[in-house]
Amino acid sequence: MAIVELKEVKKVYPLGKTEVHAVKGVSFEICKGDFISIAGPSGSGKSTILNMIGCIDVPTEGQVLINGTETGGLSDRDITDLRHEVLGFIFQSFNLIPVLNVYENVEFPLLLGKSRMTKAEKSDWIDMLIDEVGLQEWRNHKPNELSGGQRQRVAIARALVTKPEIVLADEPTANLDSVTSEAIINLMKKINRDLGTTFIFSTHDPTIVDVADHIIRLRDGLISDNYRQDDARACRE
Amino acid sequence: MAAIIGIKMRDVKIAFRNLTRQKKRTILLAAAIAFGIYIITMINGFTGSFIENVSENFSNLLAGHIFIEGVEKSESGRTLSLVRNDDILMDAIEDNEVPWKYITKRSDMNATLIFEGETAQQTVTGADWDQEEYFKERIILTQGTFEDLQAERQGIIISEKVAEKINVEIGDRLLVKCRTYTGQQNVGEFVMTGMLVDSSLFGGSTAYANISYVNELLNLKPGEYMSMGIYLEDPDMIDETAENLYEDLKTRVSMFERNTGDDDENPIIAMLEQEDEEEWEGLRFRFMTLNDIMKEVQQIVDVLNTAALIILLVLFGIIMVGVTNTFRMVLMERTKEIGTMRAVGMQRGIVRKLFLYEAFFIAVIGVAVGLILAGITMLILMQINWGLDTPAFMLMKNGYMTFKMPVWQIFLNFGIVSILTLFAAFFPSNKAAKLQPADALRSTK
Repeated sequence: MAIVELKEVKKVYPLGKTEVHAVKGVSFEICKGDFISIAGPSGSGKSTILNMIGCIDVPTEGQVLINGTETGGLSDRDITDLRHEVLGFIFQSFNLIPVLNVYENVEFPLLLGKSRMTKAEKSDWIDMLIDEVGLQEWRNHKPNELSGGQRQRVAIARALVTKPEIVLADEPTANLDSVTSEAIINLMKKINRDLGTTFIFSTHDPTIVDVADHIIRLRDGLISDNYRQDDARACRE
Repeated sequence: MAAIIGIKMRDVKIAFRNLTRQKKRTILLAAAIAFGIYIITMINGFTGSFIENVSENFSNLLAGHIFIEGVEKSESGRTLSLVRNDDILMDAIEDNEVPWKYITKRSDMNATLIFEGETAQQTVTGADWDQEEYFKERIILTQGTFEDLQAERQGIIISEKVAEKINVEIGDRLLVKCRTYTGQQNVGEFVMTGMLVDSSLFGGSTAYANISYVNELLNLKPGEYMSMGIYLEDPDMIDETAENLYEDLKTRVSMFERNTGDDDENPIIAMLEQEDEEEWEGLRFRFMTLNDIMKEVQQIVDVLNTAALIILLVLFGIIMVGVTNTFRMVLMERTKEIGTMRAVGMQRGIVRKLFLYEAFFIAVIGVAVGLILAGITMLILMQINWGLDTPAFMLMKNGYMTFKMPVWQIFLNFGIVSILTLFAAFFPSNKAAKLQPADALRSTK
């Protein structure tokens, strides 16, 4: 079953007196548990599509369905809850909260909504995630005391803390060196395998595109290529 | 408890930490609020004790809380201040169970003191000093004592300035020229037994002597006097006690109408005007209270408090502009962060709350610092003896400044400041809450 489905999605931004057609009618499906790369040069519409899947932006035309629910008809409160419960975000520039330390940054999304976990379970889960991303020694450090790679690891742990079904990563390696980039991608891949979380990441770096199971290439707001490494044509039921 | 009123420690914690991000800015903003609170607290504290001190000083100098004066009209139509027999007054006081502490009886005369060719005009107040404990505590003598005055029947205590003017010293005998209560010229002799600090209000114009000798000079009989002062055990009972006593006295003797203070007219002046405006004869009594006298002082206090409130509002109007601008700046700085928080699932309301909590904390810090500074300043000022030789002594307690501020006033000021600060921060907070996550995340600021 498709966890994400886009149907003829278009996005137009006003730019002064003109309009920018960032996405010009895109349709595709993403399967649960996939590790997907949305690739393309700058300005091809990668981030815009990721934002619309992440429900932080709305399409000008077309539909975005998450778990079969059309997001366009939801209220701001419901959309926010959906983001909290189903989606996790990893940003290019990490976007950690500067006044919180590593542990608190990871914990932050858990504090925003209802959780079935007890306080002890939450604490164990956060510690496990921090350990998983290799930052146990840095758990009490603030973001400005960490390297770029370490910050992105915190962002990954934060994205996973609510146990989301989908993690969206907008150019997660753009601000990192090649070695760190590879390590981050490997970490994401490991989590994808271990937890079954669907990862959707955008990149313009050809060296990390091929790690994905499913690759969607964009050019000028349109899909130029959409293929799976395993040759499957549709999501398994 | 916090959860019940909808405050989550997470929000409080983040808002509080956000304050530390721009320490200088937070300090400056809190300092502006602290300055406003400092000023208003000082004014409120001063006016709070103002009425009490002035009232106490007046009650001491005028010898009582309730005053009864006898006024007699002679056959020639001349009015004379005189209480010949106070049995009726004392009966009324007893029957009404007036809770008095002291009852003072005084006679006053305008006199010219003469010593070796030098003269000084003085009001000489004669009193039974055994009944004037409050007054004796209040008056500061630089030379001599009240015991010396009581020991010498013709003794007199005059102010330092008058003593200097007529060049008189302790033990000197000075001539007094005055009129009897019927208006005839009279002369006598005082012996200077004491010198008091010149308060420039009463000290400079009033001298104090024994009532027996003042009565002799006024040609009054022993036991007669001009005005009675009643010190109550509790000054808060003035109005109630005076009302009952006055109503009872009206049934026993002829009384001038007492202005109840309901209109804007000064009650004392209104009562004095009755002497000339109304047709009357024989003996009538004037009845007034310290509160009647204090009515105009209360008006001054009201004006000061209103002025203080206006200052508070103007000051905070300016500060609020600063708060709004600061939070607009904060909003610009944290646009991306707001986008991140919204993206990970923070509802709009919580974004708004974070900003408002931050503003509230600044208000709390500002108010706390302002109150502490005002408290320290008050404590320092209260230690300084400003002396009694200043016209401001009436506003002080024995030459020391005092401050009094009811707790509700502190909470009221805190409430006003908090509401204004939250109001000033509301618009930027609302704007922050309404930011679209994608727009906020795209921000390059």
